[in-house]
Amino acid sequence: MNIDHPLTQAVIAGRRRDVPALVQQCIDAGEAAGDIVEKRLVPGMMEIGERFKRSEIFVPEMLIAARSMKEALKVLEPMLVAAGVRPEHRALIGTVEGDLHDIGKNLVATMWKGANIDVIDLGVNVTPAKFVEAVAQHKPDVVGLSALLTTTMPAMRDAVHAIRESGAKTRVVIGGAPVTQEFAREIGADGYAPDAGSAVDMALGLMRGSSN
Amino acid sequence: MDRQFYLGLAAAGVRIPIGTHLVLHEHEDHGEILLDGERLGRVVEESARRYGSPLALPLMDLALEKESMLLARGVPVAAIDTFHFDEIPGQDGGFHLTRRMEATCGALHYIATQTDLVPVGMGIGPFSLMTKLIADPITPVFLAGDGCSADEEPEIGLVERLLEISLETILKYLDAQMDAGAKAIIVCEPAANNVYFSPNQLAESFEIFDRYVMRTNEAIRDRLRARGVDLMLHDCGELTDDMVRRLGGLDPAMLSLGSSRRLWEDAALVPKDVVLYGNLPTKQFYSDELISAGRVRQLCDELLRKMRETGHPFILGSECDVLSVPGRERTIREKVEEILRK
Repeated sequence: MNIDHPLTQAVIAGRRRDVPALVQQCIDAGEAAGDIVEKRLVPGMMEIGERFKRSEIFVPEMLIAARSMKEALKVLEPMLVAAGVRPEHRALIGTVEGDLHDIGKNLVATMWKGANIDVIDLGVNVTPAKFVEAVAQHKPDVVGLSALLTTTMPAMRDAVHAIRESGAKTRVVIGGAPVTQEFAREIGADGYAPDAGSAVDMALGLMRGSSN
Repeated sequence: MDRQFYLGLAAAGVRIPIGTHLVLHEHEDHGEILLDGERLGRVVEESARRYGSPLALPLMDLALEKESMLLARGVPVAAIDTFHFDEIPGQDGGFHLTRRMEATCGALHYIATQTDLVPVGMGIGPFSLMTKLIADPITPVFLAGDGCSADEEPEIGLVERLLEISLETILKYLDAQMDAGAKAIIVCEPAANNVYFSPNQLAESFEIFDRYVMRTNEAIRDRLRARGVDLMLHDCGELTDDMVRRLGGLDPAMLSLGSSRRLWEDAALVPKDVVLYGNLPTKQFYSDELISAGRVRQLCDELLRKMRETGHPFILGSECDVLSVPGRERTIREKVEEILRK
Protein backbone atom coordinates (compact mmCIF):
# COMPACT_ATOMS: atom_id res chain seq x y z
CA MET A 1 0.00 0.00 0.00
CA ASN A 2 1.63 3.21 -1.19
CA ILE A 3 0.96 6.23 0.97
CA ASP A 4 3.58 8.54 -0.49
CA HIS A 5 1.31 10.33 -2.96
CA PRO A 6 0.66 13.98 -1.99
CA LEU A 7 -3.11 13.41 -2.01
CA THR A 8 -2.77 10.41 0.30
CA GLN A 9 -0.52 12.41 2.57
CA ALA A 10 -2.97 15.31 2.62
CA VAL A 11 -5.75 12.93 3.72
CA ILE A 12 -3.58 11.40 6.44
CA ALA A 13 -2.57 14.84 7.73
CA GLY A 14 -6.15 16.14 7.50
CA ARG A 15 -5.18 19.03 5.22
CA ARG A 16 -8.74 19.45 3.98
CA ARG A 17 -8.19 22.67 2.10
CA ASP A 18 -5.35 21.18 0.02
CA VAL A 19 -7.37 18.18 -1.06
CA PRO A 20 -9.56 19.50 -3.93
CA ALA A 21 -6.54 20.85 -5.84
CA LEU A 22 -4.63 17.60 -5.32
CA VAL A 23 -7.59 15.60 -6.59
CA GLN A 24 -7.76 17.86 -9.61
CA GLN A 25 -4.06 17.24 -10.25
CA CYS A 26 -4.74 13.48 -10.30
CA ILE A 27 -7.64 13.98 -12.71
CA ASP A 28 -5.53 16.22 -14.92
CA ALA A 29 -2.83 13.53 -14.94
CA GLY A 30 -5.38 11.13 -16.41
CA GLU A 31 -6.22 9.04 -13.35
CA ALA A 32 -9.74 7.59 -13.33
CA ALA A 33 -11.99 8.62 -10.46
CA GLY A 34 -12.29 5.03 -9.22
CA ASP A 35 -8.52 4.68 -9.21
CA ILE A 36 -8.11 7.88 -7.25
CA VAL A 37 -10.42 6.47 -4.59
CA GLU A 38 -8.76 3.04 -4.51
CA LYS A 39 -5.12 4.08 -4.88
CA ARG A 40 -4.96 7.52 -3.23
CA LEU A 41 -7.79 7.88 -0.70
CA VAL A 42 -8.42 4.39 0.65
CA PRO A 43 -4.71 3.80 1.45
CA GLY A 44 -4.73 7.06 3.39
CA MET A 45 -7.68 6.02 5.51
CA MET A 46 -6.30 2.50 5.97
CA GLU A 47 -3.07 4.04 7.22
CA ILE A 48 -5.07 6.19 9.60
CA GLY A 49 -6.82 3.06 10.90
CA GLU A 50 -3.47 1.34 11.47
CA ARG A 51 -2.03 4.34 13.30
CA PHE A 52 -5.15 4.46 15.48
CA LYS A 53 -4.78 0.78 16.34
CA ARG A 54 -1.17 1.44 17.32
CA SER A 55 -2.35 4.40 19.49
CA GLU A 56 -0.17 6.76 17.48
CA ILE A 57 -3.18 8.89 16.73
CA PHE A 58 -6.53 9.37 18.42
CA VAL A 59 -10.16 9.89 17.48
CA PRO A 60 -9.86 13.59 16.56
CA GLU A 61 -7.09 12.89 14.04
CA MET A 62 -9.22 10.13 12.51
CA LEU A 63 -12.13 12.51 12.06
CA ILE A 64 -9.93 15.21 10.58
CA ALA A 65 -8.58 12.71 8.05
CA ALA A 66 -12.08 11.51 7.21
CA ARG A 67 -13.14 15.09 6.67
CA SER A 68 -10.38 15.48 4.10
CA MET A 69 -11.46 12.32 2.35
CA LYS A 70 -15.00 13.69 2.15
CA GLU A 71 -13.65 16.79 0.42
CA ALA A 72 -12.04 14.56 -2.17
CA LEU A 73 -15.22 12.57 -2.68
CA LYS A 74 -17.20 15.77 -3.23
CA VAL A 75 -15.02 16.42 -6.26
CA LEU A 76 -15.03 12.82 -7.44
CA GLU A 77 -18.63 11.82 -6.85
CA PRO A 78 -20.11 13.14 -10.13
CA MET A 79 -17.39 11.29 -12.04
CA LEU A 80 -17.91 8.10 -10.05
CA VAL A 81 -21.64 8.24 -10.73
CA ALA A 82 -21.11 8.95 -14.43
CA ALA A 83 -18.69 6.03 -14.70
CA GLY A 84 -21.06 3.73 -12.83
CA VAL A 85 -18.40 3.04 -10.19
CA ARG A 86 -19.90 1.73 -6.98
CA PRO A 87 -18.27 0.37 -3.83
CA GLU A 88 -17.90 -3.39 -3.92
CA HIS A 89 -19.38 -3.90 -0.45
CA ARG A 90 -22.25 -2.46 1.53
CA ALA A 91 -22.68 -2.14 5.28
CA LEU A 92 -25.46 -0.97 7.50
CA ILE A 93 -24.87 0.49 10.93
CA GLY A 94 -26.83 1.78 13.90
CA THR A 95 -26.84 2.25 17.66
CA VAL A 96 -29.29 -0.15 19.25
CA GLU A 97 -32.66 0.70 20.78
CA GLY A 98 -32.56 2.76 23.95
CA ASP A 99 -29.05 4.04 23.32
CA LEU A 100 -28.48 7.54 21.98
CA HIS A 101 -24.69 7.48 21.81
CA ASP A 102 -23.29 7.87 18.36
CA ILE A 103 -19.59 8.66 18.56
CA GLY A 104 -18.41 5.06 18.28
CA LYS A 105 -20.98 4.30 15.63
CA ASN A 106 -19.99 7.39 13.63
CA LEU A 107 -16.31 6.51 13.85
CA VAL A 108 -16.90 3.03 12.50
CA ALA A 109 -19.13 4.42 9.74
CA THR A 110 -16.39 6.90 8.88
CA MET A 111 -13.70 4.25 8.76
CA TRP A 112 -15.87 1.90 6.72
CA LYS A 113 -16.52 4.68 4.22
CA GLY A 114 -12.78 5.32 4.19
CA ALA A 115 -12.30 1.69 3.18
CA ASN A 116 -14.66 2.33 0.26
CA ILE A 117 -17.60 0.49 1.74
CA ASP A 118 -21.06 1.83 0.94
CA VAL A 119 -22.41 2.64 4.41
CA ILE A 120 -26.06 3.15 5.33
CA ASP A 121 -26.28 4.81 8.74
CA LEU A 122 -29.56 4.20 10.55
CA GLY A 123 -28.65 6.58 13.38
CA VAL A 124 -29.29 5.96 17.06
CA ASN A 125 -32.02 4.24 19.07
CA VAL A 126 -32.66 1.77 16.25
CA THR A 127 -35.27 -0.87 16.99
CA PRO A 128 -34.75 -4.51 15.98
CA ALA A 129 -37.66 -4.12 13.54
CA LYS A 130 -35.96 -1.16 11.89
CA PHE A 131 -32.73 -3.14 11.50
CA VAL A 132 -34.65 -6.01 9.90
CA GLU A 133 -36.50 -3.67 7.57
CA ALA A 134 -33.29 -1.93 6.51
CA VAL A 135 -31.47 -5.23 5.98
CA ALA A 136 -34.28 -6.41 3.71
CA GLN A 137 -34.21 -3.14 1.80
CA HIS A 138 -30.47 -2.60 1.40
CA LYS A 139 -29.14 -6.16 1.55
CA PRO A 140 -25.86 -5.24 3.29
CA ASP A 141 -22.93 -7.63 3.49
CA VAL A 142 -22.37 -6.59 7.09
CA VAL A 143 -24.49 -5.00 9.81
CA GLY A 144 -22.75 -3.09 12.62
CA LEU A 145 -24.48 -2.75 15.98
CA SER A 146 -23.22 -0.24 18.51
CA ALA A 147 -24.02 0.28 22.20
CA LEU A 148 -22.38 2.38 24.87
CA LEU A 149 -24.57 1.59 27.84
CA THR A 150 -24.65 -1.70 29.66
CA THR A 151 -28.37 -1.12 30.04
CA THR A 152 -28.89 -1.35 26.29
CA MET A 153 -26.94 -4.54 25.70
CA PRO A 154 -30.10 -6.66 25.88
CA ALA A 155 -31.35 -4.55 22.95
CA MET A 156 -28.24 -5.62 21.03
CA ARG A 157 -29.12 -9.24 21.64
CA ASP A 158 -32.69 -8.55 20.44
CA ALA A 159 -31.42 -6.90 17.26
CA VAL A 160 -29.11 -9.82 16.42
CA HIS A 161 -31.92 -12.26 17.11
CA ALA A 162 -34.38 -10.33 14.94
CA ILE A 163 -31.92 -10.17 12.03
CA ARG A 164 -31.27 -13.92 12.30
CA GLU A 165 -34.98 -14.67 12.55
CA SER A 166 -35.63 -12.70 9.39
CA GLY A 167 -33.53 -15.20 7.48
CA ALA A 168 -31.11 -12.56 6.16
CA LYS A 169 -27.66 -13.91 5.32
CA THR A 170 -25.87 -10.75 6.38
CA ARG A 171 -23.01 -10.91 8.89
CA VAL A 172 -23.40 -9.01 12.15
CA VAL A 173 -20.56 -7.20 13.91
CA ILE A 174 -20.93 -5.59 17.34
CA GLY A 175 -18.92 -2.98 19.18
CA GLY A 176 -19.05 -0.42 21.96
CA ALA A 177 -17.58 0.19 25.37
CA PRO A 178 -19.35 -2.56 27.33
CA VAL A 179 -19.23 -5.16 24.56
CA THR A 180 -16.78 -8.06 24.43
CA GLN A 181 -15.88 -11.01 22.24
CA GLU A 182 -17.59 -13.26 24.78
CA PHE A 183 -20.76 -11.24 24.57
CA ALA A 184 -20.63 -11.38 20.77
CA ARG A 185 -20.42 -15.15 20.91
CA GLU A 186 -23.16 -15.32 23.50
CA ILE A 187 -25.67 -13.38 21.41
CA GLY A 188 -24.76 -15.02 18.12
CA ALA A 189 -22.95 -12.13 16.43
CA ASP A 190 -20.34 -12.97 13.80
CA GLY A 191 -17.71 -10.66 15.16
CA TYR A 192 -16.66 -8.10 17.72
CA ALA A 193 -14.50 -5.07 16.99
CA PRO A 194 -12.82 -3.36 19.94
CA ASP A 195 -12.20 -0.12 18.01
CA ALA A 196 -12.97 1.62 14.73
CA GLY A 197 -9.70 0.54 13.12
CA SER A 198 -10.36 -3.10 13.91
CA ALA A 199 -13.93 -2.72 12.65
CA VAL A 200 -12.54 -2.17 9.16
CA ASP A 201 -10.48 -5.37 9.26
CA MET A 202 -13.39 -7.26 10.76
CA ALA A 203 -15.89 -6.07 8.14
CA LEU A 204 -13.57 -6.60 5.19
CA GLY A 205 -12.65 -10.04 6.47
CA LEU A 206 -16.27 -11.05 6.80
CA MET A 207 -17.20 -9.55 3.44
CA ARG A 208 -14.39 -11.30 1.62
CA GLY A 209 -15.24 -14.49 3.42
CA SER A 210 -18.88 -14.30 2.44
CA SER A 211 -18.10 -13.51 -1.19
CA ASN A 212 -15.79 -16.51 -1.52
CA MET B 1 -19.25 21.90 54.50
CA ASP B 2 -15.99 21.23 56.21
CA ARG B 3 -13.45 19.43 54.02
CA GLN B 4 -12.62 17.38 57.12
CA PHE B 5 -15.96 15.63 56.72
CA TYR B 6 -14.83 13.86 53.53
CA LEU B 7 -11.35 13.24 54.86
CA GLY B 8 -13.00 11.71 57.90
CA LEU B 9 -15.09 9.37 55.75
CA ALA B 10 -11.96 8.27 53.95
CA ALA B 11 -10.09 7.76 57.21
CA ALA B 12 -12.99 5.70 58.58
CA GLY B 13 -12.77 3.34 55.60
CA VAL B 14 -16.26 4.03 54.35
CA ARG B 15 -17.17 2.23 51.10
CA ILE B 16 -19.79 3.78 48.84
CA PRO B 17 -21.11 2.24 45.64
CA ILE B 18 -23.38 4.61 43.71
CA GLY B 19 -26.37 2.29 43.63
CA THR B 20 -29.41 4.52 43.31
CA HIS B 21 -30.23 3.32 39.78
CA LEU B 22 -30.18 -0.28 41.03
CA VAL B 23 -32.55 0.49 43.87
CA LEU B 24 -34.83 2.63 41.70
CA HIS B 25 -35.25 -0.17 39.18
CA GLU B 26 -36.40 -2.57 41.88
CA HIS B 27 -39.59 -0.51 41.85
CA GLU B 28 -41.96 -1.46 39.06
CA ASP B 29 -43.16 2.11 38.68
CA HIS B 30 -39.66 3.60 38.48
CA GLY B 31 -40.73 5.89 35.66
CA GLU B 32 -43.36 7.48 37.87
CA ILE B 33 -40.99 7.79 40.81
CA LEU B 34 -38.70 9.93 38.65
CA LEU B 35 -41.45 12.54 38.53
CA ASP B 36 -42.30 12.49 42.25
CA GLY B 37 -39.82 14.36 44.43
CA GLU B 38 -40.69 12.76 47.75
CA ARG B 39 -40.78 9.21 46.38
CA LEU B 40 -37.52 9.80 44.55
CA GLY B 41 -36.05 11.13 47.78
CA ARG B 42 -37.15 7.93 49.55
CA VAL B 43 -35.41 5.85 46.89
CA VAL B 44 -32.22 7.89 47.29
CA GLU B 45 -32.49 7.42 51.05
CA GLU B 46 -33.16 3.68 50.66
CA SER B 47 -30.06 3.39 48.50
CA ALA B 48 -27.90 5.27 50.99
CA ARG B 49 -29.15 3.16 53.91
CA ARG B 50 -28.68 -0.11 52.06
CA TYR B 51 -25.12 0.72 51.07
CA GLY B 52 -24.20 2.37 54.34
CA SER B 53 -23.51 5.77 52.81
CA PRO B 54 -23.82 9.00 54.79
CA LEU B 55 -24.05 10.71 51.38
CA ALA B 56 -27.46 10.61 49.70
CA LEU B 57 -26.25 10.12 46.15
CA PRO B 58 -28.75 10.90 43.39
CA LEU B 59 -29.19 9.32 39.98
CA MET B 60 -26.46 10.15 37.50
CA ASP B 61 -28.86 11.27 34.82
CA LEU B 62 -26.96 13.38 32.33
CA ALA B 63 -29.89 14.06 30.04
CA LEU B 64 -31.81 16.53 32.21
CA GLU B 65 -29.99 19.72 31.26
CA LYS B 66 -30.24 19.06 27.53
CA GLU B 67 -33.97 18.45 27.90
CA SER B 68 -34.37 21.67 29.86
CA MET B 69 -32.39 23.73 27.39
CA LEU B 70 -34.25 22.43 24.37
CA LEU B 71 -37.71 22.67 25.92
CA ALA B 72 -36.95 26.31 26.71
CA ARG B 73 -36.18 26.79 23.03
CA GLY B 74 -39.37 25.15 21.84
CA VAL B 75 -37.90 21.88 20.58
CA PRO B 76 -40.65 19.21 20.57
CA VAL B 77 -40.31 16.60 23.31
CA ALA B 78 -40.08 13.75 20.81
CA ALA B 79 -37.13 15.37 19.06
CA ILE B 80 -35.04 16.17 22.13
CA ASP B 81 -33.01 12.97 22.42
CA THR B 82 -31.57 13.22 18.93
CA PHE B 83 -31.66 16.99 18.46
CA HIS B 84 -28.46 18.74 17.41
CA PHE B 85 -27.88 22.40 16.75
CA ASP B 86 -26.53 23.07 13.26
CA GLU B 87 -26.35 26.83 13.61
CA ILE B 88 -25.58 29.24 16.41
CA PRO B 89 -28.73 29.63 18.53
CA GLY B 90 -30.09 33.08 19.19
CA GLN B 91 -30.70 34.78 22.50
CA ASP B 92 -31.09 32.79 25.68
CA GLY B 93 -34.34 30.83 25.64
CA GLY B 94 -34.65 31.21 29.40
CA PHE B 95 -34.40 28.40 31.91
CA HIS B 96 -37.02 25.71 32.10
CA LEU B 97 -37.13 23.65 35.29
CA THR B 98 -38.48 20.39 33.90
CA ARG B 99 -40.65 17.93 35.81
CA ARG B 100 -37.67 15.63 36.23
CA MET B 101 -35.60 18.51 37.57
CA GLU B 102 -38.41 19.52 39.93
CA ALA B 103 -38.53 15.95 41.22
CA THR B 104 -34.76 15.91 41.72
CA CYS B 105 -35.04 19.12 43.73
CA GLY B 106 -37.97 17.63 45.61
CA ALA B 107 -35.84 14.61 46.45
CA LEU B 108 -33.08 16.89 47.74
CA HIS B 109 -35.59 18.75 49.88
CA TYR B 110 -36.81 15.46 51.29
CA ILE B 111 -33.28 14.32 52.12
CA ALA B 112 -32.41 17.69 53.64
CA THR B 113 -35.50 17.95 55.81
CA GLN B 114 -36.49 14.36 56.60
CA THR B 115 -33.20 12.50 56.99
CA ASP B 116 -29.78 12.78 58.58
CA LEU B 117 -28.03 12.14 55.26
CA VAL B 118 -25.97 14.64 53.30
CA PRO B 119 -28.10 15.85 50.37
CA VAL B 120 -26.03 15.57 47.20
CA GLY B 121 -27.08 17.15 43.91
CA MET B 122 -25.96 16.26 40.43
CA GLY B 123 -25.25 18.06 37.19
CA ILE B 124 -23.57 17.43 33.89
CA GLY B 125 -20.41 19.41 33.14
CA PRO B 126 -20.59 22.15 30.49
CA PHE B 127 -18.22 20.46 28.07
CA SER B 128 -20.09 17.16 28.26
CA LEU B 129 -23.41 18.92 27.76
CA MET B 130 -22.05 20.74 24.72
CA THR B 131 -21.03 17.42 23.17
CA LYS B 132 -24.66 16.31 23.30
CA LEU B 133 -25.84 19.38 21.41
CA ILE B 134 -23.89 19.07 18.18
CA ALA B 135 -23.56 16.20 15.73
CA ASP B 136 -19.75 16.23 15.62
CA PRO B 137 -18.21 18.04 18.58
CA ILE B 138 -14.80 16.40 18.16
CA THR B 139 -13.68 17.97 14.89
CA PRO B 140 -14.25 21.63 15.87
CA VAL B 141 -12.62 21.11 19.25
CA PHE B 142 -9.55 19.71 17.49
CA LEU B 143 -9.54 22.53 14.94
CA ALA B 144 -9.81 25.13 17.70
CA GLY B 145 -6.92 23.42 19.46
CA ASP B 146 -5.00 23.65 16.21
CA GLY B 147 -5.37 27.41 16.28
CA CYS B 148 -8.34 27.83 13.92
CA SER B 149 -10.79 30.60 14.72
CA ALA B 150 -14.57 30.72 14.54
CA ASP B 151 -14.22 32.93 11.46
CA GLU B 152 -12.26 30.22 9.68
CA GLU B 153 -14.36 27.30 10.87
CA PRO B 154 -17.96 28.26 11.80
CA GLU B 155 -18.39 25.03 13.80
CA ILE B 156 -15.96 26.46 16.35
CA GLY B 157 -18.27 29.41 16.88
CA LEU B 158 -21.15 26.99 17.39
CA VAL B 159 -19.18 25.00 19.97
CA GLU B 160 -18.21 28.13 21.87
CA ARG B 161 -21.73 29.54 21.95
CA LEU B 162 -23.13 26.19 23.04
CA LEU B 163 -20.56 26.04 25.83
CA GLU B 164 -21.79 29.43 27.05
CA ILE B 165 -25.43 28.35 26.94
CA SER B 166 -24.57 25.03 28.60
CA LEU B 167 -22.88 26.80 31.49
CA GLU B 168 -25.86 29.15 31.93
CA THR B 169 -28.32 26.26 32.04
CA ILE B 170 -26.18 24.16 34.37
CA LEU B 171 -25.64 27.01 36.82
CA LYS B 172 -29.39 27.65 37.00
CA TYR B 173 -30.11 24.00 37.66
CA LEU B 174 -27.38 23.83 40.29
CA ASP B 175 -28.81 26.94 41.93
CA ALA B 176 -32.20 25.22 42.07
CA GLN B 177 -30.65 22.16 43.68
CA MET B 178 -28.75 24.26 46.20
CA ASP B 179 -31.96 26.15 46.97
CA ALA B 180 -33.57 22.76 47.59
CA GLY B 181 -30.93 21.87 50.15
CA ALA B 182 -27.96 20.29 48.33
CA LYS B 183 -24.82 20.45 50.45
CA ALA B 184 -22.61 18.90 47.79
CA ILE B 185 -22.92 18.60 44.04
CA ILE B 186 -21.49 15.91 41.78
CA VAL B 187 -20.47 17.48 38.50
CA CYS B 188 -20.10 14.82 35.82
CA GLU B 189 -17.72 15.75 33.04
CA PRO B 190 -17.09 12.38 31.37
CA ALA B 191 -16.53 13.84 27.90
CA ALA B 192 -13.42 15.67 29.05
CA ASN B 193 -11.29 12.79 27.89
CA ASN B 194 -8.92 11.66 25.18
CA VAL B 195 -11.70 10.83 22.73
CA TYR B 196 -12.67 14.50 22.51
CA PHE B 197 -9.18 15.87 23.09
CA SER B 198 -6.25 14.36 21.23
CA PRO B 199 -3.37 13.58 23.59
CA ASN B 200 -1.05 14.36 20.67
CA GLN B 201 -2.47 17.87 20.46
CA LEU B 202 -2.46 18.32 24.24
CA ALA B 203 1.18 17.26 24.36
CA GLU B 204 1.94 20.47 22.50
CA SER B 205 -0.49 22.71 24.37
CA PHE B 206 -3.26 22.30 26.92
CA GLU B 207 -4.78 25.63 25.95
CA ILE B 208 -7.89 24.12 24.35
CA PHE B 209 -8.60 21.84 27.34
CA ASP B 210 -8.14 24.76 29.68
CA ARG B 211 -10.39 26.98 27.58
CA TYR B 212 -13.19 24.47 26.94
CA VAL B 213 -13.17 22.37 30.12
CA MET B 214 -11.37 24.12 32.93
CA ARG B 215 -12.73 27.63 32.51
CA THR B 216 -16.40 26.57 32.66
CA ASN B 217 -15.83 24.17 35.53
CA GLU B 218 -14.00 26.87 37.44
CA ALA B 219 -17.14 28.97 37.11
CA ILE B 220 -19.16 26.12 38.59
CA ARG B 221 -16.66 25.61 41.40
CA ASP B 222 -16.82 29.32 42.21
CA ARG B 223 -20.63 29.28 42.25
CA LEU B 224 -20.69 26.31 44.61
CA ARG B 225 -17.98 27.78 46.79
CA ALA B 226 -19.94 31.02 47.14
CA ARG B 227 -22.85 29.01 48.48
CA GLY B 228 -20.72 26.86 50.78
CA VAL B 229 -21.53 23.76 48.76
CA ASP B 230 -18.89 21.13 48.05
CA LEU B 231 -17.81 20.09 44.59
CA MET B 232 -17.50 16.40 43.80
CA LEU B 233 -16.04 15.94 40.37
CA HIS B 234 -16.66 12.84 38.29
CA ASP B 235 -14.93 11.92 35.06
CA CYS B 236 -14.98 8.26 34.07
CA GLY B 237 -13.48 8.88 30.64
CA GLU B 238 -10.01 7.82 29.52
CA LEU B 239 -7.70 10.54 30.80
CA THR B 240 -4.08 11.54 30.55
CA ASP B 241 -2.11 12.34 33.69
CA ASP B 242 -2.21 16.03 32.86
CA MET B 243 -5.99 15.91 32.61
CA VAL B 244 -6.18 14.33 36.07
CA ARG B 245 -3.77 16.93 37.40
CA ARG B 246 -5.96 19.71 36.06
CA LEU B 247 -9.21 18.20 37.35
CA GLY B 248 -7.58 17.84 40.76
CA GLY B 249 -6.62 21.49 40.50
CA LEU B 250 -10.31 22.40 40.65
CA ASP B 251 -9.96 21.42 44.31
CA PRO B 252 -12.98 19.14 44.53
CA ALA B 253 -13.80 17.59 47.88
CA MET B 254 -13.90 14.26 46.04
CA LEU B 255 -12.56 13.26 42.64
CA SER B 256 -14.22 10.24 41.06
CA LEU B 257 -12.40 8.57 38.16
CA GLY B 258 -13.04 5.67 35.82
CA SER B 259 -11.54 2.22 36.06
CA SER B 260 -8.97 2.97 33.38
CA ARG B 261 -7.03 4.99 35.96
CA ARG B 262 -4.64 3.64 38.58
CA LEU B 263 -5.74 5.65 41.55
CA TRP B 264 -2.62 4.82 43.53
CA GLU B 265 -0.62 6.58 40.83
CA ASP B 266 -3.15 9.41 40.53
CA ALA B 267 -2.65 10.10 44.22
CA ALA B 268 0.59 11.86 43.30
CA LEU B 269 -1.24 14.07 40.78
CA VAL B 270 -3.87 15.67 42.99
CA PRO B 271 -3.76 17.77 46.18
CA LYS B 272 -3.51 15.83 49.42
CA ASP B 273 -6.90 16.93 50.64
CA VAL B 274 -8.80 15.83 47.55
CA VAL B 275 -10.40 12.48 48.37
CA LEU B 276 -10.02 10.04 45.51
CA TYR B 277 -13.12 7.95 44.91
CA GLY B 278 -13.78 4.83 42.89
CA ASN B 279 -12.96 3.13 40.73
CA LEU B 280 -14.09 -0.47 40.50
CA PRO B 281 -15.14 -1.47 36.96
CA THR B 282 -18.84 -1.48 37.69
CA LYS B 283 -19.72 -1.08 34.02
CA GLN B 284 -18.63 -4.73 33.66
CA PHE B 285 -20.61 -6.03 36.62
CA TYR B 286 -23.44 -7.25 34.38
CA SER B 287 -21.22 -10.04 32.99
CA ASP B 288 -19.76 -12.95 34.93
CA GLU B 289 -17.46 -13.67 32.01
CA LEU B 290 -16.00 -10.18 32.22
CA ILE B 291 -15.70 -10.07 35.98
CA SER B 292 -16.62 -12.53 38.69
CA ALA B 293 -17.63 -11.67 42.24
CA GLY B 294 -14.32 -13.17 43.35
CA ARG B 295 -12.41 -10.86 41.02
CA VAL B 296 -14.33 -7.87 42.39
CA ARG B 297 -13.20 -8.93 45.83
CA GLN B 298 -9.57 -9.15 44.65
CA LEU B 299 -9.77 -5.72 43.03
CA CYS B 300 -11.21 -4.22 46.22
CA ASP B 301 -8.38 -5.70 48.29
CA GLU B 302 -5.73 -4.57 45.83
CA LEU B 303 -7.11 -1.06 45.54
CA LEU B 304 -7.44 -0.64 49.28
CA ARG B 305 -3.94 -1.94 49.89
CA LYS B 306 -2.30 0.23 47.26
CA MET B 307 -4.19 3.33 48.30
CA ARG B 308 -3.27 2.70 51.91
CA GLU B 309 0.37 2.57 50.85
CA THR B 310 0.06 6.01 49.24
CA GLY B 311 -1.46 7.51 52.38
CA HIS B 312 -3.84 9.46 50.16
CA PRO B 313 -7.44 9.87 51.35
CA PHE B 314 -9.57 7.36 49.49
CA ILE B 315 -13.11 6.02 49.42
CA LEU B 316 -13.68 2.68 47.73
CA GLY B 317 -16.56 2.77 45.29
CA SER B 318 -17.82 2.43 41.74
CA GLU B 319 -16.33 3.93 38.61
CA CYS B 320 -19.73 5.39 37.73
CA ASP B 321 -23.28 4.83 38.89
CA VAL B 322 -24.06 1.12 38.96
CA LEU B 323 -26.70 0.67 36.32
CA SER B 324 -29.42 -1.92 36.56
CA VAL B 325 -29.27 -4.16 33.47
CA PRO B 326 -32.48 -6.09 32.75
CA GLY B 327 -31.94 -9.78 33.44
CA ARG B 328 -28.58 -9.23 35.14
CA GLU B 329 -29.76 -7.59 38.34
CA ARG B 330 -28.78 -10.45 40.65
CA THR B 331 -25.15 -10.72 39.56
CA ILE B 332 -24.76 -6.94 39.66
CA ARG B 333 -26.12 -6.80 43.20
CA GLU B 334 -23.82 -9.65 44.30
CA LYS B 335 -20.79 -7.77 43.05
CA VAL B 336 -21.90 -4.53 44.70
CA GLU B 337 -22.17 -6.51 47.94
CA GLU B 338 -18.52 -7.53 47.46
CA ILE B 339 -17.53 -3.87 47.54
CA LEU B 340 -19.14 -3.58 50.94
CA ARG B 341 -17.88 -6.87 52.40
CA LYS B 342 -15.04 -6.23 54.85
